Amino acid sequence: MARWGMVIDLDKCTACQACTVACVAENNQPVAGPEGSQKGRNIFWNQVLAMVEGEYPHVKARFLPRPCMHCDEPPCVQVCPVGATFKRDDGLVAQDNDLCIGCRYCMVACPYGVRYFNWKQPGYPTTENLNPDVPLRPKGVVEKCTFCVHRVEAAKAKAQAEGRELRDGDVKTACQQTCTGGAIYFGDLDDPNSQVAKLAKEQRAFRLLEELGTKPRVIYLGEG
Amino acid sequence: MNRLEEKYIQSLVHTGPKYYITVAVLGLIIAWALYAYIYQLIYGLGVTGMNTPTYWGFYIVNFVFFVGLSAGGVIVASLVQAFNIQKFRSVARIAELLAISCLILATIFITLDLGRPDRIWHLLAYGRLGSPLIWDVIVITTYLLVGLAYGYFGTRADLVKCMEAIPQKRRLYRFLALGYTDTSEKALRRDRKILRGLAIVALPLAVALHSVTAWIMGLLKARPGWHSALLGPLFVVSATVSGLALVSLAVVLGRKLMKLAIKDEVVKALGRLLFLVIPILGYFLFAELLTVTFAREPAALSIFQEMIYGHFAFIFWFNLVLGLLVPFVILAFPRARTDFGVGVASLLVVLGVLAERWNITIPSQLHADHFLPYPHGVYNLTWVEYSLVVGVYALGVLFFAICAKLFPLVEIEEEGASPEERIPSLAEVKKS
Repeated sequence: MARWGMVIDLDKCTACQACTVACVAENNQPVAGPEGSQKGRNIFWNQVLAMVEGEYPHVKARFLPRPCMHCDEPPCVQVCPVGATFKRDDGLVAQDNDLCIGCRYCMVACPYGVRYFNWKQPGYPTTENLNPDVPLRPKGVVEKCTFCVHRVEAAKAKAQAEGRELRDGDVKTACQQTCTGGAIYFGDLDDPNSQVAKLAKEQRAFRLLEELGTKPRVIYLGEG
Repeated sequence: MNRLEEKYIQSLVHTGPKYYITVAVLGLIIAWALYAYIYQLIYGLGVTGMNTPTYWGFYIVNFVFFVGLSAGGVIVASLVQAFNIQKFRSVARIAELLAISCLILATIFITLDLGRPDRIWHLLAYGRLGSPLIWDVIVITTYLLVGLAYGYFGTRADLVKCMEAIPQKRRLYRFLALGYTDTSEKALRRDRKILRGLAIVALPLAVALHSVTAWIMGLLKARPGWHSALLGPLFVVSATVSGLALVSLAVVLGRKLMKLAIKDEVVKALGRLLFLVIPILGYFLFAELLTVTFAREPAALSIFQEMIYGHFAFIFWFNLVLGLLVPFVILAFPRARTDFGVGVASLLVVLGVLAERWNITIPSQLHADHFLPYPHGVYNLTWVEYSLVVGVYALGVLFFAICAKLFPLVEIEEEGASPEERIPSLAEVKKS
């Protein structure tokens, strides 16, 4: 069984936010509109954060794409009262839109702020380009980055149809596919020969808020 | 029916125009809230001020607040049953009624906050025992059942008395007594035994109730400001203080508006008790504040700065000055423990604890950048939130007003058999 993980090389990231846009399009994320945006109702499963360190004139800015960390010890799963969010065997933290009661307990429990609530009926500028592989969410439930689980499942089905094992690089997430700097890698962290496993061993590797013990499965690379 | 009994049931038989006006006003407020709720159901929780990162707003503040307010019932019940302080018997029923109402209101508030209230049954069907929210569901349900049982066994004998005293409502009282109308000495003794047992169960259950409610927040490592071992005990103390204050307020208002047969000395004793518990809450708040400000751990410190200097700082200072210090000073003077003094002090304490609940719930979320560089949050209440919160308060008052017409709010004392006389004090025993 694969244990999916992601590596994001911050030294290659140009902070173009193409990953954010690709993610919105791929996963049918509703658009909040100007008014909703002002009220803090945006939904961006993969948001690029600007981390500013130091004080003027010694300032250093670093940009950081932030998908769901798919933690091995996920605080959201721990608190969900109905099991609507759960940890799959392959390491993905999944969300069941039909079970969620919209209590938003997972949102206050997530230290990374990766979870988004449908404050209103999801709206789209046009429904023509919706992705048929990703189910739409109703209003009043929580949603978040799935590590493009539909692509994972499609790659698995394809490999099975061709009668072979899943190979490293078979699954590409939408953010990875679109990344202009080629900074995003996705693969099986348990396979020592996979690219992500090799990159994760680099000196530059770190994880976000590791001190909280959430064991995130997104590894960042950066010179610091 | 003798004259003494008459004063207890008078309000059950006679209903003045003031009562109907009150009920009508409450009804209007509730109808408006119902409209607001339908509006919220149609357009989603976006009609409230909640957003990213203020995921939990005024509904949750009120949920936590009302769970805390329900503590009054168990305090009075244990004073009577465990410590045998009989003078509080006359307020035991009001206290229990308030506890039950508050828990019902708390449940309503949590339902208002759900994005999918139509799926609330998922809590029962798919409940995960690992989630603190499910612990709260279990403990609130248990506590509510114990409270109802306590209310029933404490009122049953009086309901039977009402059956005889008000023959035109005989069937209603038989129904309220659940058909169990035996008032022989043996049956009454058994009632008292059950009450004692329930009071003993209720005490640890109340500690569990308030702790579990605190742990919904306190166990989250993602939330500096909530993530503190002190939060459980703090909630128990806040609940004690606010619950006692609510009982005192209801007693004072009941004496004034409904001419309830509660003696002056009970008000005095409630005021004194409140005076004794306020400093405990002050101490807990101080301990938490000192730990954070001395250690200067950035994340927790930033939340406290938000609380003390931030947008909602006036709520913090209201809690400290008007919610704790002023009532403490008022109640420090035994001569001030009158209806007016105790009334004002307990109202301030109740509002102060509401402010405290706000301070616990909101600032930790507003200050969203304690871990990752998210923008600072905003939270502006909307008309929907105001309407619903006020509407639920009105529902609580209406529930209380209806109950006041259904059964006597104060235990009926037979002439010449007041509790004080039944159990002579030590001084009297020595004298004789």
